[in-house]
Amino acid sequence: MESHHASEMNGVVTEYLKMCIESKHNGLCREEDSKDTAGSNKLSCIERAYSTILSELGEDVDREGLLRTPLRAAKAMQFLTKGYKETTQDILNDAIFDENHEEMVIVKDIELFSLCEHHLVPFFGKAHIAYLPNKKVVGLSKLARIVEIYSRRLQVQERLTKQIASAITEALEPAGVAVVIEAVHMCMVMRGVQKMNASTVTSVMLGRFDEDPKTRKDFLALTMKK
Amino acid sequence: MLRLRGAHISTRTHQRNRLNKCSADREKAGEVMEHSKQTQYGSAEKKDAGDGGSVLNGHFDGMVKRPAGGTGRSGAAQTPGAESGSHRATSSVMESWKEERTRSVEDNEMSLPSLAAAYTTILRGLGEDPQRQGLLKTPWRAATAMQFFTKGYQEKIIDVLNDAIFDEDHDEMVIVKDIDMFSMCEHHLVPIFGRVHIGYLPNKRVLGLSKLARIVEIYSRRLQVQERLTKQIAVAITEALQPTGVGVVIEATHMCMVMRGVQKMNSKTVTSTMLGVFREDPKTRDEFLTLIRS
Repeated sequence: MESHHASEMNGVVTEYLKMCIESKHNGLCREEDSKDTAGSNKLSCIERAYSTILSELGEDVDREGLLRTPLRAAKAMQFLTKGYKETTQDILNDAIFDENHEEMVIVKDIELFSLCEHHLVPFFGKAHIAYLPNKKVVGLSKLARIVEIYSRRLQVQERLTKQIASAITEALEPAGVAVVIEAVHMCMVMRGVQKMNASTVTSVMLGRFDEDPKTRKDFLALTMKK
Repeated sequence: MLRLRGAHISTRTHQRNRLNKCSADREKAGEVMEHSKQTQYGSAEKKDAGDGGSVLNGHFDGMVKRPAGGTGRSGAAQTPGAESGSHRATSSVMESWKEERTRSVEDNEMSLPSLAAAYTTILRGLGEDPQRQGLLKTPWRAATAMQFFTKGYQEKIIDVLNDAIFDEDHDEMVIVKDIDMFSMCEHHLVPIFGRVHIGYLPNKRVLGLSKLARIVEIYSRRLQVQERLTKQIAVAITEALQPTGVGVVIEATHMCMVMRGVQKMNSKTVTSTMLGVFREDPKTRDEFLTLIRS
């Protein structure tokens, strides 16, 4: 079925792209001047798209349970991708402290919810973060907030892991950073191969965590034990 | 014109008409196209629903048939025997099934471009760049995924159950538990997942065990509300088998509560439907609930 759709996709991709461009020029999703109207304009764009989706799926858009679903789904989707509007500078600026501590700091079991950018279906799991401070420590919840910023986007787990590690490195310039994410992908569980118990683990080791196997081993022993 | 499956054919004809109109409309604003699609579809569904207000999601009027040995079954004889038994099964399932299949495989293929266009609009509305490498084919993948998540609309219980009802002189409880269930919240279009436990007390007829799981699949792969899903499964089994009693318990996690809104990670929603002797007799109900918990 996948290959059939792939060939179909190539065949009609130009047609649907034309549809999208046309709808854009027809003022359906016009860029507005003021910020307020831009926000609500985008919301109503997404809302209309969801209405189309509901009717194309064969549902009755007028039944009671679905009456406000396009709006709710649009708002939900905006919430699930709110990370695009946030930057690390906004949340980290005040919470970096000078501290004469050079031992490993670990925050583990940070719940994580993201959206697969390939299927627009959630994936969720846990993130474990560790860093070796270099005279500067960060407020602990800020690590979780960094996870939030990058996970509330359309993501690929590998990129997410790397972005979190890079953000911490840039902000703190520590001696080492390690990030491990273990997640379950609904696109694999609910559809496709349909493997219920499979989970994906990705990790990024920077600085001393990469160079020194003992540091890495310590981190893994502390985070991965059940 | 011979109408074999009248509603099904008229749905497809409507689909074709709608698309013919829309290919002309494509030059005009997309808004008009959407509106005409919706009204046409709305009127089509209302026409096809026929009597007894049950519409697309197999809404029932709230009237649940009490399982009783063959009462109210017109035409089918009450004589035992495999042939008439299966005939009774067929007629009883068809008779009470007001629910129409709303989608066909052809419909799926025809809807794909519009679904993909809608997803492209969503990506753009969220501030992403639909042209970047990772998102290039996402509208198609997301559209196909969504069609898969709602494939329950394409299926009918009668197709799944026809051959797997057997006459068996067994009147003890039969339980199939821990059936993984994946559905979509109809309010937020976000996944729901959990487990279904089904128990029934056969009345001379048993069902192939995997068919219980297939019934769960048909009803869960739709835009659902957990309460309705539980009831639909219970009623489907009741109407197919006329057992002495049916119990369905669903325990699920709603991503709309976990990923957004209140954001309560560990919350679970449990719903149950008890019909027949499961409702009337507390000991039977107790036995069922104990066995599914162990």
